[in-house]
Amino acid sequence: MSQVSQESQARAIVYNFLSSLFAKEVTSDLVAQLTSDQGQSFLNSLALEPSLSASVNEINAKLGKLNSKELLLELAADFCGLFLVDGRTSVSPYAGQYLSAELGGEPSDKLSNAARNESGSKRKTNKTQLFGELHQQMTEFLTDNKLQIHSDFPEPGDHIAVILAYIAHLCVTSGSEQQLSFINSYLMTWLSDFTQQVNKHDHGLFYCFVADLTLEWLKVDTEFLLND
Amino acid sequence: MKRRNFLKGILATSFTVISTASVLTPLTALAKIGAKNRDDWLTTGSHFGAFKMKRKNGVIDQVKPFDLDKYPTDMINGIKGLVYNPSRIRYPMVRLDFLLKGHKSDTSQRGDFRFVRVTWDQALTLFKQSLDEIQTNYGPSGLHAGQTGWRATGQLHSCTSHMQRAVGMHGNFVKKIGDYSTGAGQTILPYVLGSTEVYAQGTSWPLILDNAKTIVLWANDPYKNLQVGWNAETHESFEYLAQLKEKVKKGEIRVISIDPVASKTQEYLGCEKIYVNPQTDVALMLAIAYELYTNDLHDKDFIKGYSLGFERFVPYLTGEEDGIAKTVEWAEKITAVPADVIKELAKTMVAGRTQLLMGWCIQRQQHGEQPYWMAAVLATMIGQIGLPGGGISYGHHYSGIGVPSSGAAAPGAFPRNVDEGQKPIFDSTDFKGASSTIPVARWIDAILEPGKVIDANGAKVTYPDIKMMIFSGNNPWNHHQDRNRMKKEFHKLECVVSIDINWTATCRFSDIVLPACTTMERNDIDIYGSYANRGLLAMQKMVEPLFDSLSDYEIFTRFAKVLGKEKEYTRGMNEFDWLTKLYNDCKKANDGKFVMPEFEQFWQDGYVHFGEGKPWTRHAAFREDPEINPLGTPSGMIEIHSRKIERYQYDDCKGHPTWMEKSERSHGGPGSDKHPIWMQSCHPDKRLHSQMCESKEYRDTYTVQDREPVYLNPADAKHRGIKNGDVVRVFNDRGQLLAGAVVSANFPKGVIRIHEGAWYGPVGDDGSITGGAKVGAICSYGDPNTLTQDIGSSKLAQACSAYTCLVDYEKFSGKLPPVTSFQGPLEIGA
Amino acid sequence: MKWFKNLWQTLNTPAKYLTLGSISLTAFIMGVMFWGGFNTALEATNTEEFCIGCHSMESKPYQELQKTVHWSNHSGVRATCPDCHVPHSWGRKIARKMEASSDVWGWVFNTVNTSEKFEDKRLEMASREWARFERDDSLACKNCHNYDSMKWDTMSKLAQKQMKRAAEKDQSCVDCHKGIAHILPDMGTARAPQLIAEVGTGPSKFTNEQYYFSALTKPLFFSAKGDVEAGTLNVATKVKILESKENRVKVSISGWRKQIGAGRVIYYDFGINMLTAQLSKEAAKTEGVINGFEEKEDEMTGLKWQRVETTLWTDAEYLITEQQPLWDYARTTFRSSCSVCHTQPDEAHFDANTWPGMFQGMIAFVNMDQDTQALVQKYLQQHSSTFVKKEH
Repeated sequence: MSQVSQESQARAIVYNFLSSLFAKEVTSDLVAQLTSDQGQSFLNSLALEPSLSASVNEINAKLGKLNSKELLLELAADFCGLFLVDGRTSVSPYAGQYLSAELGGEPSDKLSNAARNESGSKRKTNKTQLFGELHQQMTEFLTDNKLQIHSDFPEPGDHIAVILAYIAHLCVTSGSEQQLSFINSYLMTWLSDFTQQVNKHDHGLFYCFVADLTLEWLKVDTEFLLND
Repeated sequence: MKRRNFLKGILATSFTVISTASVLTPLTALAKIGAKNRDDWLTTGSHFGAFKMKRKNGVIDQVKPFDLDKYPTDMINGIKGLVYNPSRIRYPMVRLDFLLKGHKSDTSQRGDFRFVRVTWDQALTLFKQSLDEIQTNYGPSGLHAGQTGWRATGQLHSCTSHMQRAVGMHGNFVKKIGDYSTGAGQTILPYVLGSTEVYAQGTSWPLILDNAKTIVLWANDPYKNLQVGWNAETHESFEYLAQLKEKVKKGEIRVISIDPVASKTQEYLGCEKIYVNPQTDVALMLAIAYELYTNDLHDKDFIKGYSLGFERFVPYLTGEEDGIAKTVEWAEKITAVPADVIKELAKTMVAGRTQLLMGWCIQRQQHGEQPYWMAAVLATMIGQIGLPGGGISYGHHYSGIGVPSSGAAAPGAFPRNVDEGQKPIFDSTDFKGASSTIPVARWIDAILEPGKVIDANGAKVTYPDIKMMIFSGNNPWNHHQDRNRMKKEFHKLECVVSIDINWTATCRFSDIVLPACTTMERNDIDIYGSYANRGLLAMQKMVEPLFDSLSDYEIFTRFAKVLGKEKEYTRGMNEFDWLTKLYNDCKKANDGKFVMPEFEQFWQDGYVHFGEGKPWTRHAAFREDPEINPLGTPSGMIEIHSRKIERYQYDDCKGHPTWMEKSERSHGGPGSDKHPIWMQSCHPDKRLHSQMCESKEYRDTYTVQDREPVYLNPADAKHRGIKNGDVVRVFNDRGQLLAGAVVSANFPKGVIRIHEGAWYGPVGDDGSITGGAKVGAICSYGDPNTLTQDIGSSKLAQACSAYTCLVDYEKFSGKLPPVTSFQGPLEIGA
Repeated sequence: MKWFKNLWQTLNTPAKYLTLGSISLTAFIMGVMFWGGFNTALEATNTEEFCIGCHSMESKPYQELQKTVHWSNHSGVRATCPDCHVPHSWGRKIARKMEASSDVWGWVFNTVNTSEKFEDKRLEMASREWARFERDDSLACKNCHNYDSMKWDTMSKLAQKQMKRAAEKDQSCVDCHKGIAHILPDMGTARAPQLIAEVGTGPSKFTNEQYYFSALTKPLFFSAKGDVEAGTLNVATKVKILESKENRVKVSISGWRKQIGAGRVIYYDFGINMLTAQLSKEAAKTEGVINGFEEKEDEMTGLKWQRVETTLWTDAEYLITEQQPLWDYARTTFRSSCSVCHTQPDEAHFDANTWPGMFQGMIAFVNMDQDTQALVQKYLQQHSSTFVKKEH
């Protein structure tokens, strides 16, 4: 039992780690931590899993080069352009932007639809309002678990960082089945789409690898949960 | 099994330092909840209407009209789309190159480049440092913070007031005079009728309805434009329009609409229509005047007793002055209004009480002063100025003008100026020989040619050398003309700061972008009913500011703190202290006249109602005794001929109203051989200027293939192989745009309409976003100011002339590019 | 003490009974009374004897009243205490009785039982009455004087102008007509109180041949004593005092007038539409009131102007020694009131003759009383490009 618990704690750490990478820009502190002995041994441990090793190594390599304020700013600009603004070359970090259509948000008229089909991804042009149903659901989950979003992170509940942090919480508080059910309903439904978008738009590549790592990790972890 | 090992490895690293920085924390007390249960209906207001909101789990859920608004518009359905817009500015951001290189940054990157998130402290410090640099290097003439335009409603958080007070504490800056809406009108009418007229209360509708036999709607679409108001709109005017409709139906009042297009009001009232060629209204008015004069139908007593200069005007009318008699036949050729129709119109106007109601469109063109002046001359000749249901109005389509004023005192506002006795940190008033105030629509000219001297309203204006601009709740990349000309000049600015709720084109062209919250995220106070001042509205905060946005009050309080002037800025009061003060000052001003409860009660009730006012007739006092109640003209009389203007010796605004050919005019006018179509860019039907355009779900109710509609004449469209629903490329030598075709018989041959306020979203020819930064790039959504002319109306007003604009159009056959208007900065790739 | 007991019962009757339907005024006058004892009690308190019996009024207000037109006039109709001080409608009457309980309090505890104490309390009591009149739209006055039946023809043009403006707004009568039945309490001023608080009411003694400035728009009179108004002196206008007599001063006003109409509007200077004084038609016609001098044609309008001087009387108040405090107040008001919707233009952006048009065309959302409006307009004109040379 204590073995499982330790595993769960480790999984929680990974989820929190991923959450923090999507929550805010990489700082010099984080670079220092991740390039320290402890940090390296953490990343190396992750890289032991074959499906994760490629992205972990790429991230590691990128981190090693982040040795100036300017480079950190460039990375911050990548982060900002990808996740903090809305645009055709940005990637929404909100589950609601991917899942709303299925949840009932309907486009208005046929002409608009025609335009969407012509101009590429339907999802990209059919932006729905923020703080929608999924935000509300996540808020309810958090409240039920006596949790709330930190006031320094003024984002909707369906932000990927919140969802990952919530899974971290579930890792140490609930059973595999429950974890799996949440992950499958609220993350796996859109994560690959998200990762694809990041890969399409992130020219700096750091967040491509972070997104890849996240997706691969989830694949590994859900498989683990399934077999647990 | 292997997997378990690597997990153990993770734990062994004790990498908990990072992992503790979770975005989640234990639930503390439930989210702050005000005195009132947040799931009740709360009250607030907007330009679109006063309304109520209900919250569900901390998110605005339902919106419904305010109880006292009997004619709400469906624009309030767009409110949620403003608040929860994916294009919200979520955090303070700075353009990366500006952050790295400051005032030496590559400004050509503006509009398509990378931003980084910063903290409020960083952003505001950077803002101050930029101001320091400008004031040190250039003095006050280097800074233009004299923005124009609307705002979100509310007397406390009014965006321009906050920005200018705070920036004014730092130093002086260039300001503007006039506005884009009524620039020519508000400049010419003080010379003629002694008041701006456009912003003055007008004769009450009940008196018009009771006394007028004929109402002439000249280029006027009140049914469309009265949907929005300067304050929280409660749409009282629509009751009178409904009564007018009844009277038209019963034949009690004749309404004649003179307009190139079939307006929404025409359709609603079912009134008579007279088509006139665009921009030729002065010719039509002159012919009516000629008809009145030659048939001795003009009111000679009124002209003699109340006006000056008729004898100087008549020689022009008869052709003695210029050899051209302004006959109906002469006018028919220019205006396309048949001679006999003009004759009949002239007779009708003097056959009984005739109320002229002028719209603003016809003064937003080259020589826009002339139609307003000539209309006043016509009204003088008819001789009914100052009588109920007679005379002339320039405002009955605006903010409830014509609804009797309650007479109550309105609340004041958070002060826009630095308090008396306080000096800015940089207190230089040395504008280096340049003017400290420039005509509102001439700022791009100033950037283009600093130091140039121009004529304006009888004075000389020397353009300052502007290096920095600040925009708060303000979108010049909507309201200014000729985008490509803007693009060419805008990069000369060293620093641009923009404060807004959602990413506008102006934000994308800025260096420092700061997130303000919407009215739904702050407490405020406003009057409702605009000019009628029917009552006072509590604007109750529904939700906490989203993301890292702040109220205008909070943004500039923090900025003042950076300046070391927080106390001077707030006078030691917080948001609610100010609201209480504004309310109590208003209560005191109304003491003994209107009963107002204590503030707490008012806030609980959501509003206090002042009731209906008493009917009133514009210019009646002048008519009664012009000596004691003179007009504000130089003579105190109506000036048919102005010696004052004559002395300016302007070739484009002479001593009396004059018909002048335009630089571009359709229907056989100059330039129509190349670009035969006149583009009308009037105020939108479904927005307040550009406000609400970003509200996606609401926008979807009127867009065509996601584009702004362009209204096309059926024959013209057919000729170009265009059908309803097609995407159309509209172009001229100044630019090009894409819009969605709506083919409608309401629009005559040679005329198209694209409502202004359509957000600018340029894209490259290849559909790429980076290409959008190039001069000449096509606007993917349909901003008509991509095509308009950036010229002054004349040397008098130097006003916006967006209506003097010829274009052509064709079916768009290329690969349809995405709409890029409603999003943040564009390209990630370096 | 029986009345007291009745009144006390009345006052203690629960409100829900008191608010029962409002009996119309007509029904009341016709003597249709349903409510037995309650109504009788009220009526008992509605006679003059009743009032002066307890109100310790015989020496003060009652005697003051007897000297006014409300007591003795051509019509023979006399206004008595309750005509003005008890509202003539039921709902308000009840409310007034409730309010009167503090009078009862005063009587019982001798708050105003001496002349000195009465004078001390006069303003407070008067203010309470004025507030009540305003709340009631001066209904008590309008029962006899209503706007509709006024003899407009017999009024001077100026009176007509002011009365019509008041009628349009259904203004409370006591807004202007305070102190018509009793001596006016010593108070600041009801008009533009903030302005007067700022600039003061002026000196009590004047030096002849010295210049003073009007702090409000002031009535002008033909003589030191008479009530006949000869016109109005605009706010912030410079006048020379020629002599003082009791409460009036004789002032010399100079300026220019347009040779149109009766030529009864005096402006600041040749060709400049800055209002100095408006005289009544009668004054303008009266030989010797306006002395005309040289004439000039204004090229800007083609109108003939004439330099004029006039000598008239005005009340010896609101004439101050310096003009600057008026401008300071106007500047502050302009900057705060005119920046609610937009940035206020610089004073020197327009010339003196353009400002009235710009100002009048923009005041829809501005809260200024008429004196302040006139002052701010004059301030803007006086500080316009006509006088302050500054490029713009």
